[in-house]
Order: sequence, then structure tokens, then C-alpha cells
Amino acid sequence: MLNGLVTTVREGARYKGESNQWMWIAHRISGLGVLLFLVTHISGMSFSYFNPKVHEALIEIYKTPLFSVGELFLAACLVFHAINGTRIALLELKPEWWSEQHKATRASLLITFVLGAPTLVIMAWKSLSFYLATGR
Amino acid sequence: MTIQTLNPAQRTIRTVKPMPLARNRFERMAWIFMRFSGLILVFLSLSHFWLQHLIVGTHQLQFGQTVARWGAAGAPVTIENVFWRLYYVAIIALAMLHGLNGFRQVAYDYLNNRGVYRGVMIAATGVIAVVSLMGLVALLGGATIVK
Repeated sequence: MLNGLVTTVREGARYKGESNQWMWIAHRISGLGVLLFLVTHISGMSFSYFNPKVHEALIEIYKTPLFSVGELFLAACLVFHAINGTRIALLELKPEWWSEQHKATRASLLITFVLGAPTLVIMAWKSLSFYLATGR
Repeated sequence: MTIQTLNPAQRTIRTVKPMPLARNRFERMAWIFMRFSGLILVFLSLSHFWLQHLIVGTHQLQFGQTVARWGAAGAPVTIENVFWRLYYVAIIALAMLHGLNGFRQVAYDYLNNRGVYRGVMIAATGVIAVVSLMGLVALLGGATIVK
């Protein structure tokens, strides 16, 4: 049943697809991570209409360290998936750019870092100052 | 599916039956949808994330802000409410379909048992349909003011 997954994990290191093989795997993992978050996020936010008490309780749960760390992972996954997805879409719509694939990969990693690093730092700083101020 | 030998390089290649036309058409539309929904979602999802999770911040999240953006249930709908509702309807519709199709591609690659694949996809489609519907109903109904 999971032969494909086992093969991917075992052969991933051996496959000579270079950086773009890892980008492909990272794109799938980050995409599944964002999807898992969105399913909980959309259903959680919808309780503001169905049952505000549940919604308020959920907001308090979100203000705990476990969810703050998860939110940092989400930020990294989302920024990476967005920038890497842009690279994939642009390259597949523009075959004449295929000769510059590795340059495009490095560029998308650089943009992910430039956009993602300040996002993570600011979010971590906001979370830390919240927990220090409230003593939770 | 048969195994053939490609003579010059002596490599084995797999030859598969051509895809049925209806399936081919669906896959082509799904491919196009993934590219364009993805490019739109780059702007929608990043603007939402940076506004609500970074600038506002989860720790500063208050119920009143949600009410102000979506509009309270039963209250007259302002132009701001319409903007935010359209914005979130677009995100939910595009992101859930984009995510469902992405999940389908991953499941198709790794779940080699046809029955398991179908079961997982029926479950995933059901969960995503219910969640999308919850989000859309909540958006169009407006947030409820806590009494």
C-alpha cells in the first residue's frame, strides 16, 4: 500500500535529480501541512457564526506555546509553498526558461528566506513577549 | 502494462495504455487550475497571513475584530463586510480545491491499492466539502455577537 512512499524515502537520497528533487518533496510536504492547517483553521473560524463560545475557547487555545510553534512551522511552509509554487507555475508556462532551472531554484530559496526569516522572527518575538508579559 | 526494451541504451521502459479521453480532459483542466489558482493564492493567502497572523497577531486576536470584518449576523451589511466576505470566499474556494487536488496527486502516487486510494479520496473529499461549506455559511451568515 505504501510502497510508493517507502520507495521515495529510500531512493530520494540516491536519485540524481539534485536540488529540484528535494524541492519537489518539500513542495508536497509543505502543501499537505498547509492543507491540514486550513481544514482546522476554516472550521475553527466558522464557529464564530455557529457557536461563539466555542470560537472564543478556540482562540484561547491558539494562544498557547504549542500552537505558537506550530504557527511558525505554518509560516515557513506557506511562504515556501507560495514562492516555490510561483517558480513551478512560471517555469511550466514558459518552456524557454527551462535552461535556467537551477538559477530559478536558487532564486526561489533566496526569496523564501528573505520573506520568511523576518516573518518568523517577528512572529516569534510577538509570541515570546506575549508569554513573558502574561506569565503563561 | 508491459515491459519493453529500448534498444540503443538497453534501458527498460514501461508502456501504459493511453488515458481515456474524459480522464485526460479532467487532468488537463486540473493541471491548468493548479497553476492559476496557485498564482492567485500567492497573493490572497500571503496577504491574509501577514495581516492576521503577523501584523495583528494571534495573541492580539479579539472576537470583535472578526465581527467588524465579517459583519454581525442580522446587522446591515457594509461595503467593508462585502469586501472581506468576497476575499475569504475566494480564499476558501480556491485553497480548498487547490488542496484537494494536491492531496489527490500525493495519494495517487503513494496509495497503490485502488480500494485504499478510493476510500481515502472519498474521506478527504467529504472532509474538505464539509469544512468549505461551514466556512462559506459562517461568512455569508456573518459573525454572531457574543451576548
